[in-house]
Amino acid sequence: MASIAAATLPAEVISLLKDRASLKILATTDGQGNPHAVVKGSLTVQDDGLLVYREAMESSRANANMLRSVWYDKVVSVLVVGSNGHAYQIKGKAHRYVISGPIFKQHYLEARREEGPDSEVAGVWLIEPVEVRNETFSVRKEEEDKKHPHMRHFDRASVSGVAATTETPTLGLGVI
Amino acid sequence: MSQRGSMSFKEVAAKYPDVPRLVIRKIDAGLRGVAMTDRAMERARESNSVFEDEGEPGGERAPWKLGGGTFRDGSSFLGSDFTLIGPGRPALLRGGLVPYSLDIIGEKLMLVDGEEPVEEVYLDTIPDYYGKKTSRGTPMHHIVHSDSDCLKLNPHSYCQAWSEGQPCKFCFATGRRRGSQGPKTDADLEDIYETVSEALKEPGRWTEMHLVAGSDPAGATPYENEANSYIAVLKTLKRCFGGKGLPVRLVSSAFPEKTLVRLREAGAAIVGPNLEVWDEKLFEWICPFKAKYFGRQYWIDSLVAAVKVFGRGNVRTQWVGGAEMAQPYGFKTMDEAVASTLEGTEFLARHGVSARLNILRVRQDSAFYGQKQAQPSLEYCVKLSVGIRDIRRKYGLGVALSDYRSETTRPDVDLSRLDLPDVVA
Repeated sequence: MASIAAATLPAEVISLLKDRASLKILATTDGQGNPHAVVKGSLTVQDDGLLVYREAMESSRANANMLRSVWYDKVVSVLVVGSNGHAYQIKGKAHRYVISGPIFKQHYLEARREEGPDSEVAGVWLIEPVEVRNETFSVRKEEEDKKHPHMRHFDRASVSGVAATTETPTLGLGVI
Repeated sequence: MSQRGSMSFKEVAAKYPDVPRLVIRKIDAGLRGVAMTDRAMERARESNSVFEDEGEPGGERAPWKLGGGTFRDGSSFLGSDFTLIGPGRPALLRGGLVPYSLDIIGEKLMLVDGEEPVEEVYLDTIPDYYGKKTSRGTPMHHIVHSDSDCLKLNPHSYCQAWSEGQPCKFCFATGRRRGSQGPKTDADLEDIYETVSEALKEPGRWTEMHLVAGSDPAGATPYENEANSYIAVLKTLKRCFGGKGLPVRLVSSAFPEKTLVRLREAGAAIVGPNLEVWDEKLFEWICPFKAKYFGRQYWIDSLVAAVKVFGRGNVRTQWVGGAEMAQPYGFKTMDEAVASTLEGTEFLARHGVSARLNILRVRQDSAFYGQKQAQPSLEYCVKLSVGIRDIRRKYGLGVALSDYRSETTRPDVDLSRLDLPDVVA
């Protein structure tokens, strides 16, 4: 885990964010702290390091929660997962909601091209990253094994040397 | 006294930590006005964000206008309701409040309070149709006025209240005094058709249309002439939009139910007769023309009837927040004044009417200006905004159209943005 300044996201994170095949999930919280997670396929990163996505629905819960972030300085989270299984969580703060002007128009026209004539863009959110964390399962497993060497079952290969009794998945997402 | 109460922005923000500072800042800037520096004006020119009108007969129109501006939460700032001071646009507010300034700090366009840069402001561009003319040579921006993402036009350009010398006491719409009598001619309507059609060519620019005609109570039924002006324009707009529904809001007088049905059938989506002030005696004093044509109860009955026609949440009214404290007849304390307005807000909300706040600005050319009435205090505006928002929330009423995207003096509407997932309209 590392605190970062805008425009200093690791190259692999930028690559994953720009890859349209990656899965991108935005997690926000409401006024009571309840989580809300949604897929944001349009999410990518600008050259200045700010994350950006199109919000289609003015009245969505995600939009209200993003507004809460910009009003009350609350943290939101983006999970990006590449088709290779590599995953990163980026925590950030809502930086600006754009409803007009050149940035808005660019995304508006992009939505029309990609989603057709009935597409809607209520606004474009910019998110300033403040922290990035590698959530790739194999990486996280290695980190946790080092930190907590005794927190494992005896019949794991790395403990007793015995053969595993079931096939172990190689790469995949672990919820930690 | 120029403003009741003396709490500063920082004091109010500290006292009301649940109210976003951005919203409080917007109220404060609205009360004090914003002065454009030369550097800010130059930036606006560079970014195609200022339209320098050649003027119009009578000189009613300001010599320049901005395409609009937003704060980082996307809310409209510097809209047409805002008191913007600059070359050829003197300060018009009563009192000696020190305005904010808009200046370039580093590379950013910043709102500056005294010496302190407090918020970045993002300018919008002037609409594409500005500067173009209709086939008969009328400048399109004289026909349809833009305000952020809203197109605004006047179905007629006069207000009988001014003609009878009984305008609402806060009203500064001086142009209405000079407006020619009568509805739009066929040529006028063709100008509207050409202008709106041209405006609609700009992708992603517009989300709302707002029609406001001055009061005209004449006709076989109350305000029939005024309704006919709206209907003529609505029919013209239907040509622009094809057979699709019109996202049109009327800021109108109060109509009988049968007239409301005609307006809905003509394409209106939302109606908004403005009561302005809830207290009965203050209504008669502040809005003498509305009291005469045809009394407070008539206006209230019309609002309630409109819900049957347009549906819950699609009927609006506004309070001119602060007018109810105008002296010598107004409330003497903030708590009394807030309680009165919230009583009206709750009564109307029970009937499905969404009441909204419009902060009083004591502007030149209004009766209140001549009377040296005070502007409301920042704290008063915050308390009233929160109270109105809470009642709308309790009754599940929304604020679609004329929302934060185009309105700069309605902080209660800004606050209701967080309620959008749970309300109708």
